[in-house]
Amino acid sequence: MSANGELMVRVRGLSVSYQQQNKEIPALRDVSFSVPKGSTCALIGPSGCGKSTLLYVLSGLLRSWSGEVLVDGAPVTSCRRQTALILQDYGLLPWKKVYDNVALGLDIRGESREKKYIKVKRVLNEVGLWEMRQRYPSQLSGGQRQRTGIARALALEPDLLLMDEPFSSLDALTREKLQRQLLEIWQEKRMTVVLVTHSIEEAIFLGQRIILLSGSPGRVLDIVENPRVGEAGYRKTAEFHALTTKLREKLVPERVEISGGAGRWK
Amino acid sequence: MNGRKWASALYVTFSVTFLLLGWELLSLAVNNPALPGPLPALTAFFRELAGGLWGHFLVSSYRVVISLVISLVLAVPCGMVMGREEKVDRLVAPLIYIIYPVPKIVFLPVLMVLLGIQDASKITLITLVVFFQILVPIRDAARGINPDLVNSVKSLGARRRDIYLHVVWPAVLPEVLTSLRIASGTAIAVLFFSETISSQEGLGYYLLDAWSRAVYTEMFAGIIAMSLLGFIIYTVLEHLERWACPWKYV
Ligand SMILES: Nc1ncnc2c1ncn2[C@@H]1O[C@H](COP(=O)(O)OP(=O)(O)OP(=O)(O)O)[C@@H](O)[C@H]1O
Ligand SMILES: [Mg+2]
Repeated sequence: MSANGELMVRVRGLSVSYQQQNKEIPALRDVSFSVPKGSTCALIGPSGCGKSTLLYVLSGLLRSWSGEVLVDGAPVTSCRRQTALILQDYGLLPWKKVYDNVALGLDIRGESREKKYIKVKRVLNEVGLWEMRQRYPSQLSGGQRQRTGIARALALEPDLLLMDEPFSSLDALTREKLQRQLLEIWQEKRMTVVLVTHSIEEAIFLGQRIILLSGSPGRVLDIVENPRVGEAGYRKTAEFHALTTKLREKLVPERVEISGGAGRWK
Repeated sequence: MNGRKWASALYVTFSVTFLLLGWELLSLAVNNPALPGPLPALTAFFRELAGGLWGHFLVSSYRVVISLVISLVLAVPCGMVMGREEKVDRLVAPLIYIIYPVPKIVFLPVLMVLLGIQDASKITLITLVVFFQILVPIRDAARGINPDLVNSVKSLGARRRDIYLHVVWPAVLPEVLTSLRIASGTAIAVLFFSETISSQEGLGYYLLDAWSRAVYTEMFAGIIAMSLLGFIIYTVLEHLERWACPWKYV
C-alpha cells in the first residue's frame, strides 16, 4: 500500500488560535512536520500544548488556522472519508449498543444492511468484542469501550487513523495489551497512524516518528526517529530505555526552564 | 426479581391504604358533607361512571392528550434547533424569555373570543402552557451535548441531518419525556380551569355542576376521575421513558 517516500500528512507553518471573549488564545505556532504513508507517528508534549488541536486540524473538523496542511497530497477537508478520528472519552454514543455504535459510520454512508453486518462482524471479531455487541457502552469496561471506538474507526477502512490519548484512562495491563493490539492491527493493515499521548513509553512503543511539542502555544521541540517500532520485545531492549531517558531529558528541562517564565501556570 | 416485584406491590398497597385511611380520618374530623369519606365517594364514582362521568372523562382525556401531542410536535424541533444553531437561538431566545414568565392562563378569555368555547380554545391554552414548559429544557439539553460527542460523529462523515438523527434527538429524548411528565400536571390544572368556564362537557364542568347542585359525593367522583386522569398520563409517560430510553436503565 505504501509507495516509497510518499507522505500521508504534511504540515507546514501551521498556526492555530482560538477566539475567546474577543481575545485571541494561541494554541499552536509555526508547526511543521510530516508523516510518511503507512507509518506511525506519536505526538507528545505537556498538557495544553495543542495536541488535541493538532488532531482536530488533521481531521478537518477545525477550520480556522493558517499554514499548509496536506493529507494524502490534498488540502485537508472534513469530508475526507478515509480519515478516522478516535477521541479519548466521548466517542461512543451512550444510546447505541456496541453493534450500532460500530455501524454508525457505515449507516451515515448509507451502506446496505448486509454489507454493514459483514463489516461490523469482521471488525468486532478483530478487537474481540463480537460477543458484547448487544451491550450499551455503559455496560463495558474502559478497555472494551476503547476497543469499540477502534472498531468503529476500522469499520470505515481508513488509511489515516487519528487517536487522541487512546489508552490514557486504562490501567497499565489493559493499556499494554491494547497497545500491542493496535500494533498488530497496524502491521496487518499498514494504515498511517497519528496518535497523541502524554506517556513517553507509549510514544516510543508506538511511534516510528515522535514529535515533541513544547508548552503553550505549542511548537515543535524536536522530532525523533524510532524505526524499531513493532519489533518483538522492543519494550525490553536497552535502546528502548535509552530513548526513554533521552526523551525525558528533552521534555523535562523544558518544564523547568519555562516554569520560571511567565504564563505557563496561568 | 420476583421478590422485588412483591416488595413493590406491598409498598403500593401500603401507600394506598395509608391514603384512604388519612382521607377517612380527615373526613371524620371535618364532619361536613362537603368532605365525604372514601367509601361514599368511591361508590358515587363507580355509579356515576356508568352514567355521564365516563363521557366527561373521555372528553377531558382527549383535550389533554391532543394538547400534549401538539406541544411535543412543536416544541421538540424548536428546542433542538435553538439548542444547536447559535444564530437561531440568538434571534429567538429573547422572545422566549419575555413570553416564558407570562401566565398564559390569562389568555383564556381572548382565546374563547377568537376560537369559541369548544375544544379549540382549551387545547390552544394547554398547548401554550406546555409548549414553553418543555421547550426550555429541551433547548438546554441540546445545547449541553458534549462537543466531543458531536465531533467524533462528524468525523465519521456525518452531515447536519445525521447529527440531529444520531446525536441530538436521542440526547434530548429523556429530557423530552421527563419535562412532559412534569408538565402533564400543569396541563390538567389548566384543563380544569378552562372547563369550569362556560363549558358543557369535561370533568371540570362535571365537577362544578355537582358543586352548584351541592351533591358532594358526585363532586368527589369528579375529583377521583381527574386524579385518575393525571395518574394515567404520568404512568404512561414514565413507562414510555423506560421503553424509549433503554440505555438509561441498564
Ligand atoms: N474551544 C477552545 N476555546 C478556547 N481555547 C481553547 C479551546 N480548545 C482548546 N483551547 C486552548 O488551546 C490550548 C491547546 O488545547 P488542546 O486541547 O489542544 O491541548 P492538549 O495538548 O490536547 O492538552 P491535554 O494534553 O491536556 O489534552 C489550551 O491552552 C487550551 O486552553
Ligand atoms: Mg488533549
